[in-house]
Amino acid sequence: MNRRRDITVALTGNPNAGKSSLFNVMTGAHQRVGNFPGVTIEKHEGYVDYQGRRITVVDLPGTYSLTPFSPEEIVTRHFIIEEKPDVVVNVVEGANLERNLLLTVQLMEMEVDLLVALNMIDEVEEKGISIDQKQLQKLLGSHIVPTSARQKRGIDILLDHIVRVADGRIEIGKNKLVFSAEVEAAVTKIATLLSHERALEGANHRWLAIKLLENDSEAYHQVQQHPVWVKVELALQEAITECERLHRTDPEALITEDRHSFIRGAMQECVRQPHAERATMTDYIDMVVLNRVLGIPVFLAVVWGIFQLTFSLGEPLTKGLEYLFSLAGATLEPMLPDPLLKSILIDGILAGVGGVVVFLPNIVLLFIGLSFLEASGYMARAAFVIDKVMHRFGLHGKSFIPMVTGFGCSIPAIMATRTLKSRSDRLATIMAIPFMSCGAKLPLYVLLAGAFFPPGIAANVMFGIYLLGIAVGLWTAWMLKSTVLKSDSEPFVMELPPYRWPTLASVVFQARMKAVMYLKKAGTLILAAVLLIWAASNFPRNREIDARLAVEKARIEVSDSSTEQKAETLRVVEAKAQAAQLEYSVAGRAGKLLEPLIRPLGFDWRIGIALVTGLAAKEVVVSTLGTIVSIGHSGQASDLTTILRSDPGFSRATALSLMVFTLLYVPCVASLGIMKKEVGSWKPVIVFTGYVLLIAWVASFVTYHAALFMQ
Amino acid sequence: MKLSELKVGDRAEVVSMQTDPLVRRRLMDLGLIRGTELKVLRVAPLGDPIEIVYKGLYLTLRKSEAEGVGVRLIDTAGVPGNAMGQKRHRMRFGRAS
Repeated sequence: MNRRRDITVALTGNPNAGKSSLFNVMTGAHQRVGNFPGVTIEKHEGYVDYQGRRITVVDLPGTYSLTPFSPEEIVTRHFIIEEKPDVVVNVVEGANLERNLLLTVQLMEMEVDLLVALNMIDEVEEKGISIDQKQLQKLLGSHIVPTSARQKRGIDILLDHIVRVADGRIEIGKNKLVFSAEVEAAVTKIATLLSHERALEGANHRWLAIKLLENDSEAYHQVQQHPVWVKVELALQEAITECERLHRTDPEALITEDRHSFIRGAMQECVRQPHAERATMTDYIDMVVLNRVLGIPVFLAVVWGIFQLTFSLGEPLTKGLEYLFSLAGATLEPMLPDPLLKSILIDGILAGVGGVVVFLPNIVLLFIGLSFLEASGYMARAAFVIDKVMHRFGLHGKSFIPMVTGFGCSIPAIMATRTLKSRSDRLATIMAIPFMSCGAKLPLYVLLAGAFFPPGIAANVMFGIYLLGIAVGLWTAWMLKSTVLKSDSEPFVMELPPYRWPTLASVVFQARMKAVMYLKKAGTLILAAVLLIWAASNFPRNREIDARLAVEKARIEVSDSSTEQKAETLRVVEAKAQAAQLEYSVAGRAGKLLEPLIRPLGFDWRIGIALVTGLAAKEVVVSTLGTIVSIGHSGQASDLTTILRSDPGFSRATALSLMVFTLLYVPCVASLGIMKKEVGSWKPVIVFTGYVLLIAWVASFVTYHAALFMQ
Repeated sequence: MKLSELKVGDRAEVVSMQTDPLVRRRLMDLGLIRGTELKVLRVAPLGDPIEIVYKGLYLTLRKSEAEGVGVRLIDTAGVPGNAMGQKRHRMRFGRAS
């Protein structure tokens, strides 16, 4: 064997065993994030050079077991079986050894080259737990290395052992877990049968037999297609009958119980812990945080805090970025002689890139907050507190935080649904998020409610709009979960891990990865769509308007009014020309084409244009409206509110209808892009788009006519 | 007796698992098997789910999921006023359980 070859290591372990922190300490800055094929589980990969060897470390998702139920378990299992890593490092939480060893035992059954990292050894020492490592090594058939990611202890020894295990220089022989007599007999019998099947050559027969007895769907799949199945099925039936007769349970439960007995035995032999049932820090915190009275207020305060962190703290950063982009535009402008080139560069590309980048502060801040909540242990508690409400709508407690985030911006909110494990829960949550009225829609509400309602009522109108969004969103989720997504709901069975201070490195790492993912995957798509909408609202150009503008400009230039007056007239003339160009463009024509469709909602073609351009970003609805309604208004530039009030095309009913439509209709292209990214295909996104258009139309129609009736 | 019928503070031993296979598998993976001794720690502020503790593990599950776990009561807390089994007002979207 080539002793100098590179080594691949798979990190496995329970959630909250400190796997990711250990991964970060081991690999430092040499990391990259991908996805496991077919699922939205992130694959973290990094490397470290040790003793001249390149050790590639793959951080597999946290699992309690290796049954093929959750995507995490499937991914872990497939990686170990198919990629055959040289060493499997099982990270166990030292202070909770008993529970962590269940996965260890299952890895032993797979007969992989195993190495156990006894992690959080500092906590073990603090709690006064003593572990007889030598004896435990013998029982588990694997070397054990005490580590602490927080104190950076044991990392070199771990790497050293990885190299030794990879090279086969180990002193501990593998051990085998022996099941109770009936199970063991069945395992041996089935394994022997399987070993005679040529198609299964090279497979681990004993492991496959155990899995078959455990009713493991994947193992069934693997064996069922071969002739040996006839005999195997018979043996399985026999085993089931035997277990029922002797133990009044099935082999699946019996195997799990045997594993636990083995673990309990190992614990009794090797682990001594002080027996005081002393309340821990976690108990004290939970007395407050999960208290029947205080639980909800604490929860709401945390959600509020996350929201504030993301959007209030993000606001100045976003504003700063926007300023930088407008500054860049202003600097570029005088350098570009050709107006069309100017428009492409400044209004198209620069605005497009800016439109992507401005979301970054929000995304980074939200994920700093969320990964803090997740790593500290509060996230599971938040789900515990609010699950009852969410469950009413077919959702999971963990859906709440992403949905609330949607009030700021759908993009980070949709990205945040990754905390949900089941695909159907995720889909339903993702589809509900766009109805949580985002910050970009607010300017339109403020404008319309302010223009058509007295101040006291305007706020109520806006509040009503938000409530409508929540209702439609929850209804959508509920409807999805009780029809097409009925199949797999995730059980709520969940561990409430002890509270811990997350390491700074892992929080920063999470946020950085999300930012990179957003820029790389969604950014390109969003940029393309923004450019497309820019082109649609600028082309084709009407040369006559350009020519007339040039003439007007020249006339103003030679007129004998003051410089100030000149500038003002020039601005008005330019705005009018711009509006006329917009009317002439593809977007303008689309607006006119749409008029018959939106007429019943009280909208004319100008609102149609605003809604079409609003696909780029919702703020654009207001700015387009501002440009387009100024067409009919002569000379004096007054503010948009006044213009709207005097415009015959607008009324209270129109305003209400437009607010409802903007709330409910197609989310911006950026959201659609990220939605596609998270859902995995376009089909659900397209269906969703059709659905929101329908629901927006109906709701606006009802609103408009009800408002007309009441007037 | 069912796990879902225990009161806060009750201690009990698991005697059977007749839940849906996915829930059962998840519970067993988390070490909840026949013979496990557990204690009901609390009920969520809104009345569901519940939190139990066994072997140093704090686990939460919905009452509907706890219904399939058969238990034998070892020791009751007997504190009045925190009964978990009581019927609560159901909202319109409630699922039949």
